[in-house]
Amino acid sequence: MASLESQSIPATGCSFLQGAPASAFAPEDFSSDERLMVQMAEQFSQKEILPNLDRMDAQEEGLVPTIVQHAGALGFCGPDTSADFGGLGLGKNLAARILEYLSLNASFSVTIGITSGISQVGLQLFGSRELQEKYLPPLCSGEHIGAYCLSEPNSGTDSLSLSTRADQHGGKWVLNGTKMWISNAKWANQFLVMAKVGGEKISAFLVERDFPGVSISREEHKMGLKGSSTARVMLENAEVPLENMVYEEGRGHIVAFNALNLGRFKLSSMSIGPARQAMTHASEYALDRKQFGQSIGRFGLIEQKFAKMAALFYAAESAIYRTGALIDSAFESGHAQYPDDRIKGNIRGAEEYSVECSICKVFSTEAEGQIVDECLQVYGGYGFTEEFPIARIYRDCRVSRIYEGTNEINRFFIADRLLRRMRAGTVIFGPGDGFIHDLCGEACALVSNLENPHQAVLGALADLAILTYVEQSARLRVSRNPAAFGQLHAVFCNWANAEAARAYQLISGNPVSLPAPAAVDLGAIAGLVYEKRGPVN
Amino acid sequence: MKIMVTVKRVIDPYAKVRPLSDGSGVDTTGVKFDANPFDEIAVEEAVRQKEKNPVIEIVAVSLGGTECEEQLRKALAMGADKAVLIESSENYDTLAVAEEFVALVKAESPDLVLMGKQSTDGDNNQVGQMMAALLGWPQATFASKLELADGTARVTRETDTGEETLEMNLPAIVTTDLRLNEPRYIALPGIIKARSKPLEKRPPSSTATSRVKTVKVEAVPARSAGKKVGSVDELVAELSARGLF
Repeated sequence: MASLESQSIPATGCSFLQGAPASAFAPEDFSSDERLMVQMAEQFSQKEILPNLDRMDAQEEGLVPTIVQHAGALGFCGPDTSADFGGLGLGKNLAARILEYLSLNASFSVTIGITSGISQVGLQLFGSRELQEKYLPPLCSGEHIGAYCLSEPNSGTDSLSLSTRADQHGGKWVLNGTKMWISNAKWANQFLVMAKVGGEKISAFLVERDFPGVSISREEHKMGLKGSSTARVMLENAEVPLENMVYEEGRGHIVAFNALNLGRFKLSSMSIGPARQAMTHASEYALDRKQFGQSIGRFGLIEQKFAKMAALFYAAESAIYRTGALIDSAFESGHAQYPDDRIKGNIRGAEEYSVECSICKVFSTEAEGQIVDECLQVYGGYGFTEEFPIARIYRDCRVSRIYEGTNEINRFFIADRLLRRMRAGTVIFGPGDGFIHDLCGEACALVSNLENPHQAVLGALADLAILTYVEQSARLRVSRNPAAFGQLHAVFCNWANAEAARAYQLISGNPVSLPAPAAVDLGAIAGLVYEKRGPVN
Repeated sequence: MKIMVTVKRVIDPYAKVRPLSDGSGVDTTGVKFDANPFDEIAVEEAVRQKEKNPVIEIVAVSLGGTECEEQLRKALAMGADKAVLIESSENYDTLAVAEEFVALVKAESPDLVLMGKQSTDGDNNQVGQMMAALLGWPQATFASKLELADGTARVTRETDTGEETLEMNLPAIVTTDLRLNEPRYIALPGIIKARSKPLEKRPPSSTATSRVKTVKVEAVPARSAGKKVGSVDELVAELSARGLF
């Protein structure tokens, strides 16, 4: 390890496969005033969101737009948009941390995550100055709510097969088609819409709700996220001014995919917000609920659950904020590299760490799923009723693994990128960065020799890459609080090593012997969770 | 008009604290700190007064190590105009703190000192009163309402027998109670603006002389299990056996 730390590992996408860098950003590294911003986000959730969940889920008229306006007045609706257009000009990493704490409830998380994130990022990165000046300030102030329209009834994961058309008639763009699963549709004033010019060239358009020919369908009847809005946006000869094309004709996929890269990163922090809240509720319940004459939280099997939840949470958090710092640095170096071409610099920033973004998305949403599921288990039968808060969180969290790119397409993307980079020689595995990393290197070599690998093999390869990055991130964070974080890292490794061995065995067909599990004190870790009433950080 | 507000750095009032194993104090490793909540109410009150009367200048002050800058920046983000940190890593008892702030009052000449009635760590409730005595200024403690007029302050305070309203000439010391106000959300642009507001550090006016010595810090003993009694007679018997009845 010591020798690796002295090597300089270039800060480029996938460089984690070469070995661990000397250090990586961790949430503890946010400055005190940055932490104050995060603290305000948490306070806002506690006071304005969590007491209103029933009213939000009942879709009370006007409630959510009012909360968004309040959030906007405090600066929560445009943290990483340039101050020139009403934002605060903060980095993407800090914006994600703020969003995590605005996401203690998943419905509000989607509403604010989209209006402050993916509805703005296309304009931020690719919009003309005129479009930015017109459309970003009302989103940042919270006066307007934004939405992002890519999916269609017959075009989901295969997003480029979309069939919405744009044609030029009479000095305007005329759009026709139906956009589906549009979050914020009910409240949104403006939509970033992907359509094909002449049925061929994908392009992005800024469409106002009040443009002729734009209408919104009834709300979808969803399993969860009932306090968010999801509906179809219908475009029937919708008239859009020529200047409302964002970026260039035929380059809408670049707008869409780069917005999605950053969207996946943000969704990672949005998905651990509800996991944090679930742990808060479940730890309070575990201390309160007595059976056999003692708090159930003191039983070994419950301690084990909380220890694993804390480890998964810690690992997800470590990976997310390491990635955010890398993204911020990629934007900086992109702009330094292309001082005269803002858009080229932006593309560098948004693309460089796309594999890491997908890794964070898959790992964090699956960690959220496991954490919330185990929190419900802690409640026993009461968890299965709507009398307790955990049932709502359970319903809400399921979609995290589906939207912003299913975890399946994200796994495919991770493996595909990895193999391409390996074949192009831009990824070179360095030795000696631990058990999972070694397995990942060997698996990559094996798979790159396969003619047409089964998707299950690619999925397993992606799992190895995910575990490699996350384990490394968790390890690099230990120094911030060696006693507690060392234990969390050890619990994580005991689980992750076995997961990695399973993935490797699927690829190689050969058994792997696991390293001896590290000694961990499950009761002590659970005790920290109980004390903090939530994740240990 | 100038208002001076004190802002003490304290262990997060919601955190669970542990004594150090040698009993010399509280273990602060991995513990979060925040501004004393009563002081935050004082800052909020100063900001509300400034909103009514924009000529007011607010100076936030603290005493302690360089880490206290965090809490002063928070006060600046809430709306204070400038901050002064008396930088020292020494231990101060309440009188020594009052003496340092009195020296600062003489340098800054505020018309009003607003401070929390107590801090959530020491829970002494002494510094405000001591400062008033040292300065010879009028004081109103446990304020639940504050009105400023030309050269005077009208303060409503909650007492055990009801509300009491006092009027006094400025300069004066007012300490704040919980019900005075609810501190606002700090808007993120305010936090960014606070980065460039002036924060002056100065040495203490004299060497700290602590007249009070901490003998021992111990955890609260765990509550032992109760006992169920069958009748009132039994209850009386149990209580008198313990000398409680």
